[in-house]
Amino acid sequence: MESKREPERFTIAIGPQHPALKEPGSFQFTVDGEIVTKAYVRLGYAHRGIEKAAEQRNWIQDLYLLERICGICSHIHATAYCLAVEQLAHVEASARAQAIRVLVAELERIHSHFLWIGVSAHEAGFDTLFMYSWRDRETVMDLLEGLTGNRVNYSANVLGGVKCDIDGEQRTAILKGMDFLEKRARHYLDVLTNDGMFLQRTRGIAVMSRTQAEVMGAIGPTARASNVARDVRVESPYAAYKQYPVTMALDTRGDLEARFVVRVNELFESFRLIRLILDTLPEGELMVRFPRRVPAGEVVMRVEAPRGELFYFIKSNGSDRPERLKVRTPTICNITSVIKLAVGHQLADVPMILAGIDPCFSCNDRTVQLSHAEDGSSCMMKWEDLRRHGIEHYQGLCK
Amino acid sequence: MDRKVGLWKETMQGLKTWARVNSPWVLHFNSGSCNGCDIEILATLTPRFDVERFGIKLQASPRQADILLCTGPVTRQARERLLRIYGQMPEPKFVVAIGSCALSGGVFQGCYNVMDGVDHVIPVNAFIPGCPPRPEAIIDGVVKLLSSLSAPTSKTQPQPLEVEKVSV
Amino acid sequence: MNAEEILTLASSIVSSWDWATETSRPNPKQLDVKVNSLQELVPIVVGLRVKRLGYLSAIVCLDPGPESKEMEVLYHFCPGDAVIALRVRVPRENGALPSLCEVIPGAEVFERELHEMFGVEITGLHTPDRLYLPDDWPANVYPMRKDFDPNVLSAN
Repeated sequence: MESKREPERFTIAIGPQHPALKEPGSFQFTVDGEIVTKAYVRLGYAHRGIEKAAEQRNWIQDLYLLERICGICSHIHATAYCLAVEQLAHVEASARAQAIRVLVAELERIHSHFLWIGVSAHEAGFDTLFMYSWRDRETVMDLLEGLTGNRVNYSANVLGGVKCDIDGEQRTAILKGMDFLEKRARHYLDVLTNDGMFLQRTRGIAVMSRTQAEVMGAIGPTARASNVARDVRVESPYAAYKQYPVTMALDTRGDLEARFVVRVNELFESFRLIRLILDTLPEGELMVRFPRRVPAGEVVMRVEAPRGELFYFIKSNGSDRPERLKVRTPTICNITSVIKLAVGHQLADVPMILAGIDPCFSCNDRTVQLSHAEDGSSCMMKWEDLRRHGIEHYQGLCK
Repeated sequence: MDRKVGLWKETMQGLKTWARVNSPWVLHFNSGSCNGCDIEILATLTPRFDVERFGIKLQASPRQADILLCTGPVTRQARERLLRIYGQMPEPKFVVAIGSCALSGGVFQGCYNVMDGVDHVIPVNAFIPGCPPRPEAIIDGVVKLLSSLSAPTSKTQPQPLEVEKVSV
Repeated sequence: MNAEEILTLASSIVSSWDWATETSRPNPKQLDVKVNSLQELVPIVVGLRVKRLGYLSAIVCLDPGPESKEMEVLYHFCPGDAVIALRVRVPRENGALPSLCEVIPGAEVFERELHEMFGVEITGLHTPDRLYLPDDWPANVYPMRKDFDPNVLSAN
């Protein structure tokens, strides 16, 4: 550990970073003892310039580009894009294609929530749960691979419909998978609501009231855990959600435990929806003809990604490429709530507070800069150090 | 005396190579990827693929890592950190570029904030193609790299090798 | 409330004062409001918030190109099934908009992005720092403007 004295501040570098270079920290927290008094976010590590790139590629190329905004929710990005462009082109995909889109979207929601359960358990030091949930997640990865040909970046969508169909064998496999995963989800609900060590990290922590959630613009399961009834599948049904309505999973407590419970309850809803779709899948062609040039116009498309509302705005000028394409991902709305929520909490709770909004975990490389309110000194911490700080803090409380 | 020193050096080198090959410590770095490759790397740790049976351990610190697994097309913001992490790794160190983005920028090639691949920033020893590569392909690539390390004739850094995309 | 009810309420909010706005319905679920004076922007947003229609989903900027003297900024409010788009024109050079973060704290991240990508000044923004662009990005270069060529400023 090296220290470098400057006129007004005393900078200590913790961990294996170069002591003289200031890391462009993603999160900056000002702490007074253990309590966070101020928080600030700086992103940019995964900024690739996609919106600009979309203006230079044609409508078909953009589909493949936008699927790769996020590997965890690739299908929902493609679905939002296809629905938006189909609306501009006055093309309607068949009922069968829309139902298959919803089926894959719900399978993706299942994979995303299982992934998140594991990752947040890891943040809390509960690695057994991480290993179990990711093992169970392989079931849904196999189903998605059997259906679409790839475990991640399924590419099931095309402009005008879908590429993949469901046959009897796949149907049987999916139903079997749902039975297994439902049993596992019940087990995880039991663990998440009864395990004393885990509840210490989640019950009563990071409580966000309904008013706070609405003021801070929280969306998705993070908001639904604070009783904000906001779900695009219910308020503004798209694709086949009109034919297959969804019941919102809500919780009134607003703490971290509520965020876990809401996501597990969404899993049960997804299982139910998938079974219903497989039982009543409408007949129809998989895709319809799509024009090369899309008529001029503007469209707003909102869909419910596993993390919350995903917003697409597309403007066409009648050519073979978009004039403007805007993507507003859900995490950016929830990050504001985390930043403001972290204030007043202990530093040890920060990893779980962030995990609670289900952020894109390229942020695992993030570093944290801490400023001490009393004397203005600051230090850098790796996220791994912050995570261990949280685990050790709570283990210390148990002794 | 010289012969004894030479023999000692050779034995120590053999021991170090054995340790490195049999229990490589691996650091994972995401330089701006969509997380597709990262979740497949994490999946290799989980019970179905269980990469730890090969002695491969995921590490958080570059100072203790033998192999750097790098995903993503390398954004400008991540470039500095990637260079710094590479600099902090002790010799001999090896870099594996995982996924189409790390190879060439993938679908993001030509974007304004992207370096178009890890080998534009640091030297790479193994490339694993795929979008994303399956966990089996990742394990295959890392194991191929390790076997090239333990080959008796390789006294210098191995040449970059390409891993065939594993199709199921 | 369904979309029609929401948009009727929104129309009445917007036209209840003597604002210089024009409203139109591009489709059954969307209301476009052309806000012709910048002073009206924040009061209209407050009016929508008071009636619980003020869920700001995104801020989108449209740049027609360097030949045009103006850019258009769209504030998309998405209560329930409806979309209310407040459309504001700003000059391309030295354009400035009032910040919404006193009324909507979550607008801060959208406004930071608007500033760094398009060069629109936001007055009253608490933290005008960079959000997405790297620290070494040259000043006064706005990548989402139509006259920015990604090949010229290649990261390589």
